[in-house]
Amino acid sequence: MTTAEESMLRANAIGTPLTRLDGTEKVTGTAPYAVEHPVDSPAHLHPLQAAIALGRATGIDTSAAEAEPGVLAVLTHANAPRLASTGNGELEILQSGEVGYRGQFLGGVIAETPEIARRAADLIRVHYERYEHDVELRADRDDLYKPEQVNPAFDTDTAQGDADGALASAAVTLDATYSTPMEHNNPMEPHATIACWTDGELTLHDSTQGVYWTQAAVAPLFELDQQQVRVISPHVGGGFGSKGIPHPNVVLAAMAARLVPGRPVKFPLTRQQMFSVVGYRTPTIQHVRLGADEQGRLSAITLDVVEQTAKVKEFAEQTAIPTRTMYAAPHRRTSHRLAALDTPVPTWMRAPGECPGMFGPEVAMDEMALACGLDPIEFRVRNEPETDPESGLPFSSRNLVACLREGARRFGWHDRDPRPGTRRHGEWLVGTGVAASTYPVFAMPGSQATIRATPDGRYAVRIGAVDIGTGTWTALTQIAADALEVSVGEVDLEIGSTTLPTASGAGGSSGINSWGSPIVAAARTLRARLDEHGGTVPAEGVEATEGMPDNPHTSQYAMHSFGAQFAEVWVNADTGEVSVPRLLGIFAAGRIINARTGRSQLLGGMTMGLSMALHEESVLDPRFGHVVNHDLAEYHIATNADVGSLEVDWLDEHDPYVNPMGSKGIGELGITGTAAAITNAAYHATGIRVRELPLHPDKFLR
Amino acid sequence: MRLSFTVNGRQCEADDVWEGESLLYVLRERLGLPGSKNACEQGECGSCTVYLDGVPACACLVAAGQAAGREVGTVEGLAEGDGLGAVQESFVEAGAVQCGFCTPGLLVATDDLVNRVPHPSDAEIRESLAGNLCRCTGYEKIMDAVRLAADRRASSEASRSGKTDA
Amino acid sequence: MDFLRPTSWRDALEAKAHHPDATPIAGGTDVMVEINFDHRRPTSLLDLTGIDELASWSEHGGKLRIGAGLPYTRLIDELGDRLPGLAIAARTVGSPQIRNRGTLGGNLASASPAGDGHPPLLASGAEVEVESVRGTRLLPVEEFFTGVKRHALASDELISAVHIAPATGAQQFSKIGTRNAMVIAVCTFAIALHPERQRVGTGLGSAAPTPLRAIEAEEFLSGELADSGQWDSPRPLDDSVVRQFGDLVARAASPIDDVRSTADYRTHALGVMARRTLGWVWDEYRNHPSSTGRPECA
Repeated sequence: MTTAEESMLRANAIGTPLTRLDGTEKVTGTAPYAVEHPVDSPAHLHPLQAAIALGRATGIDTSAAEAEPGVLAVLTHANAPRLASTGNGELEILQSGEVGYRGQFLGGVIAETPEIARRAADLIRVHYERYEHDVELRADRDDLYKPEQVNPAFDTDTAQGDADGALASAAVTLDATYSTPMEHNNPMEPHATIACWTDGELTLHDSTQGVYWTQAAVAPLFELDQQQVRVISPHVGGGFGSKGIPHPNVVLAAMAARLVPGRPVKFPLTRQQMFSVVGYRTPTIQHVRLGADEQGRLSAITLDVVEQTAKVKEFAEQTAIPTRTMYAAPHRRTSHRLAALDTPVPTWMRAPGECPGMFGPEVAMDEMALACGLDPIEFRVRNEPETDPESGLPFSSRNLVACLREGARRFGWHDRDPRPGTRRHGEWLVGTGVAASTYPVFAMPGSQATIRATPDGRYAVRIGAVDIGTGTWTALTQIAADALEVSVGEVDLEIGSTTLPTASGAGGSSGINSWGSPIVAAARTLRARLDEHGGTVPAEGVEATEGMPDNPHTSQYAMHSFGAQFAEVWVNADTGEVSVPRLLGIFAAGRIINARTGRSQLLGGMTMGLSMALHEESVLDPRFGHVVNHDLAEYHIATNADVGSLEVDWLDEHDPYVNPMGSKGIGELGITGTAAAITNAAYHATGIRVRELPLHPDKFLR
Repeated sequence: MRLSFTVNGRQCEADDVWEGESLLYVLRERLGLPGSKNACEQGECGSCTVYLDGVPACACLVAAGQAAGREVGTVEGLAEGDGLGAVQESFVEAGAVQCGFCTPGLLVATDDLVNRVPHPSDAEIRESLAGNLCRCTGYEKIMDAVRLAADRRASSEASRSGKTDA
Repeated sequence: MDFLRPTSWRDALEAKAHHPDATPIAGGTDVMVEINFDHRRPTSLLDLTGIDELASWSEHGGKLRIGAGLPYTRLIDELGDRLPGLAIAARTVGSPQIRNRGTLGGNLASASPAGDGHPPLLASGAEVEVESVRGTRLLPVEEFFTGVKRHALASDELISAVHIAPATGAQQFSKIGTRNAMVIAVCTFAIALHPERQRVGTGLGSAAPTPLRAIEAEEFLSGELADSGQWDSPRPLDDSVVRQFGDLVARAASPIDDVRSTADYRTHALGVMARRTLGWVWDEYRNHPSSTGRPECA
């Protein structure tokens, strides 16, 4: 049996900053995104959306729409295909006139042009019976419930020791509540689909994070075998989680296309439609309690989270998960409680769980450090666990302390005066703050890779993976090249289609782990077969297919990435305006496959964290149940002008246990902890402790 | 209505254009130029930035009829000969491209900037590109790409003028 | 939908007279958003970008006449030295792409309480020239706004130009938003010193249903400065004067809570911006009383 060390891939191409292989297509405007695939005589779909938050459409008058020249069909629950019952209330649309949230699809118009479809949709008259809706999340609701598990399959609650008792006897305690708002993913490419039925089979050109995930969700709804649904997605304009699990727009497109068999139906969502149908990050309310002794050693940590889900389908964000891993304390408890509301369904948004869950607790750590009279880095170091606090497993590698120390050195932390509100630059109050980052190492089961060597010296690597902008095309080519011990120029990678071997989707920062591992396995098998042929490729070629290898270390080690983020924040003393001139992130995430694309992933994550800290908030109007600021003019994401000096680096972390590449996944790590670091720096600047995101100016006025 | 204008130096016609249609729609759906992206339809994201008579504009906010008789330049027109243009090349090299959806608009905005300002400061770059949202990169690599493109544009100008002098 | 594309101003007025429901469009930065979002589908669009004279400016009788179709970018480049307050405000409009297309005329026609161009026009006592086949009217800018997104245009009228005197003293503009670019104002404030008349002008945005002047604040400060002979021999302002000015500006506002901010914050911030911009313009006036003024006024 080979040891973990021996099975590690020898780095040649990996680790180098190979330029993006899909770069040329993207800078010439020729990379085809979902609705840009050339199709013959497309029809266009415009949706009909519910104008109430809860109730029933008692009558839908489509006559005027149907009479419009150029209208091909009008879709409502009266003529929609019957869907199999799969228990997914989000996707099973148009099976009745029931309305479960405002903006839910009630139908659509299929027409020769988008404008005809839209104009005709405006002519549809819907009569509603309204029920009283309930869309307000509050921690004091009496109907909060405990989900069976939290996303994807974590325990809802955990407890060790006697947290309440430890808190009662602790020398120093903290009891504070933090909150994060509803946020929308807003990838730059709006969700979009071309659906076409031919001979009872469905083809979807879809903007998705997982071609096989879309297939798996859609096929059973239409009672098709998996292979009767073909999903194609070579380029995706960002996803950040909302394109992970398919949303009702894909189903509506497929339903509409069924009414015009043989014709491809194009359905790009508008930015505004995205705010009601493709999911969002739940708002969270995080009650943190910490207890410590005089030396600043934590005796108790509790985190009780309240968040929302939708009545039409449950999604339970795993907000308390990082608290189970971050710091040592003998007495601990975490819990999640949900309010089921008449809202759209929350979903994954970059680092679901870890992103909001590293806000409250990491601000609490800052508050507690001050209460203990300790530097926030020293406080974290004192509470560094030897083993994973809840599972007791050793860490496959854990370099949080090294990240904190290296970051402190580079940021110039050593001479920091801990007193808040004492540094001024003109009318600006200046402060610095730190917070930790973490993200688990996920490996998804089920991926397969096929590699075929041909006598012309080429290696065709095929896997149904996707590239949502992360760099999959490039990184998998590098991994394949090293596993085959050839140059990247000899590898022809194919991804982005269900015509390729099955693969998990891009989610949970698991892509490289889950796709790279079977590629490495297939390459090793292929090389063994080539050896059988004396090292030469026979005329008919040689092929090998391997699945995701079992990793025995998964049950023996706790596997997580860590990092430390440092922020300098200026808050205007008179107006409360907040500016972040400097951010530094130091990470330990195993081996970085591609230094160029990898750095950009981490920079992008931190910038989204900055955006979360300063700007992002979806404002739900309780009277109507819709997001008021449902466009990019009012839902602010950070612009270039909001970013100051932003620096990312990583430690050279060697971890032979996670996978043959030694890589941990970096798509989500960068966004965790950023908002806490900025919030902690804003406190240091002003002496005002804000516990609710985003950090809008009014929160800094005394 | 019938629309006639120049795109990337080529005379183009489009028929049956709806009067409320945007230039962006005409480019993408009628002229087969999907490089300019549709991501907000309100001029907030810059993904559809094109040159209109040499001035960067959001194609989603230009009524199709307003482009009649005008010159439009899109990302598809930024290549130099058979190869990539300097700005395109800089974006690939600097790693400024991720999902690529904001890229075409950013390339046009950057092309305009480096044509107007030989050595833009960081503040000028950030300000000039503030109308182009990117959700992936965090802008740092875009900054690198613009600096690189500006340097290259300046040095190619210098060598060209050097030749003239000689 | 009709698409009308006059190439002369006369033709545009004729077209508007014949199609009073036609929606004028210039930079498209508001009209196209409404069409793209399906908020409205005008029966006809009246494109004003084919009229060259509308995108030009001239100077008559000591005043600048800015064509309603002059894009912000050109306004900044060509008139920034003479209209510093308006230029600062114009630089905060949207993004470069928006400024390349957006116009003062469009900003006025949208009549948003948050329009960035409005406060400096108020502070400078600008007039809006509106025209129809029936004739021309010149409206003081504060009379142009009649309500939230409502204005004084008759259905056959178009905005032809804005008349505004070049700065004779220091001018400033301040905007608070929750992002550093492409931001709809939480609130805005403009101030202009008019030493030749010994007056101070103000303009507030996102502070009430319409853009407005803080008239009491103007009266107070103009009076204080005149009474103390400060226009002729400027000295540092008393804190109490600055504070009172800020309070009066804040008092002029009647803001609301919305997704961008709260009424309380807006009121507070307007006071801050008033004090801050007064400090800037007064410093400039003290140091260079004639720097932005016309020589004969020095």
